[in-house]
Amino acid sequence: MRLREILFRFRAVNAAAKRLRTIFVVVPCLFMVALLLLPALNGLVLSFDHHGLSLANYKFLFHDSMFWRALANNLLVPIGSLVIEFVLGLALALTLTARRNRSALIETAAILPFAIPEIVILTLARYIFMPRGYLNGALAITGMHPLPWLSPHSSLAMFTVILVDAWHVTPVVMLMLMAGLQTIPIELYEAARLDGAGTLATFRFVTLPMLLPAIVGALILRGIDALRIFSTVLVLTGPEGVPVLSTYSYSLWDDAQKPHEAMAAAMILALMVTLIGLGGLALARRFSRDDRVPA
Amino acid sequence: MNSRARTESSGLAAARFALNAFVLAAAALPLYLLAKQSVTPELETFAWPPHWMAHHLTLSHFVTVFAVNELRSAVLRSLGVAAISAAIATALGAMLAYAMARSSFAQRVGFSTVTGVRLLPMITVAIPLGIILATLGIYDSASGIGLAIVHAAIAIPTAALTLYAAFAAIPLEVEEAAWIDGASPLRIFLTIDLPLARGAIATALILCFILSWDEFGFALLVQQTNRTLPPLLYYYTVFGNVGPASALAMLMMIPAVCVVVALGPSLRGVLTAGSSR
Repeated sequence: MRLREILFRFRAVNAAAKRLRTIFVVVPCLFMVALLLLPALNGLVLSFDHHGLSLANYKFLFHDSMFWRALANNLLVPIGSLVIEFVLGLALALTLTARRNRSALIETAAILPFAIPEIVILTLARYIFMPRGYLNGALAITGMHPLPWLSPHSSLAMFTVILVDAWHVTPVVMLMLMAGLQTIPIELYEAARLDGAGTLATFRFVTLPMLLPAIVGALILRGIDALRIFSTVLVLTGPEGVPVLSTYSYSLWDDAQKPHEAMAAAMILALMVTLIGLGGLALARRFSRDDRVPA
Repeated sequence: MNSRARTESSGLAAARFALNAFVLAAAALPLYLLAKQSVTPELETFAWPPHWMAHHLTLSHFVTVFAVNELRSAVLRSLGVAAISAAIATALGAMLAYAMARSSFAQRVGFSTVTGVRLLPMITVAIPLGIILATLGIYDSASGIGLAIVHAAIAIPTAALTLYAAFAAIPLEVEEAAWIDGASPLRIFLTIDLPLARGAIATALILCFILSWDEFGFALLVQQTNRTLPPLLYYYTVFGNVGPASALAMLMMIPAVCVVVALGPSLRGVLTAGSSR
């Protein structure tokens, strides 16, 4: 084959490859947009529709005390859950990556709560925390009074929801942080030891700063998920026990038969997640640019 | 890291021991209680104080699960929905991952679409989606096809993420050799890249299957009467029936737990791929 022919074929194949890539990226993206984004946009239109274009659906929300409780809970529950997840997840990640403590059994046990389907965890949690459940049974053995763990409208119920949510998700945080820990060069630890740094100082001045990008990344991903909390609340306390925006919207749609008001509540949640998510992403991007230590 | 371990104090060692014991208890104790409930008579489950060991054993709850028509059809529907959605998501995810591994433009488009879609809360999508599926005539269908398509859409990012590394690892020289032999780009993808990535494809299929098998929110809203397993378990849990609910929960756990234990290391890569971007 002559060179010109090869060049010609190369260009033709290159154009065909480009066409293929375009099709390959457009088809899956259109599929996702059509099934997820378009319905959401349709919902946006519905949320402004109340016998014609109006803000009545949103006004309804602002006059409903349940909405304000759902909004407050939708911030408090994710924050509480994230704090537990990250403290516990970091402790587990540090323990499991230390060579002396490496154990396949513990690692599998630590991942297990995430392997269990969410709804199974919640079913279990209901039997554990119900008034005559296992936790109160255990309290009775130790001579303490049983507590109303799931009683509606109580801060104890909110605590229970946070605890159960964190139980299911801590393994994911742990795995993300473990991956971050493994990228820290061992030389840094050796240098810290030569400089006479103790365990706490090493953690404070080597591990934590080096791990920060992984922590921020995990925080954004988990934070977005935590804001969308739905099933934990629904199964443990019912939509009105510790209302969050998702369950509030669900009960407006399912029990109250107010689909348009439900969409307005769902839109406020979507707005909240989008603002916090994009804000977090922008912050993370600045973070990685400012980062002077190569990861 | 090991040097840090060497210098640790006994206080830290004790804390570690406590943490390990906590992890084992948090994983094992609830599972034990669930297993116990699934094989004890319902009257005993409601005893006070609660029994920590089964006094009487019965398999009747598992028999119930397979005898009751609603339960049996839910198992079959869940299997079907998970299988169909995993196949669609992996096929589309492979296309997306391949394009993203080969072109930076595709990477940008794919990344922003996935990010945008991930920001949408389930409830924001599910309510209007139900209306759209109803006009298409596949809302709450007995086969669960509407739900399968939705699950495919939410699983595409998982599939693409799993496959991206596999496609990116295939050297371009392999493809170039096929160009010279006159193969078309589509043929190169089908006969060279796909077979080379078959391990990752299997992982993606399994992960997407589990994603659909476990999914609760969309299933609750889209399959209101022809339920899949998660919403059915929800109704059993909330409205009584401890025995069958526990037996159902035990059955639901089987595929997921098998997979996570088997896939352990590769799963870690998938879960963490998002954080190191």
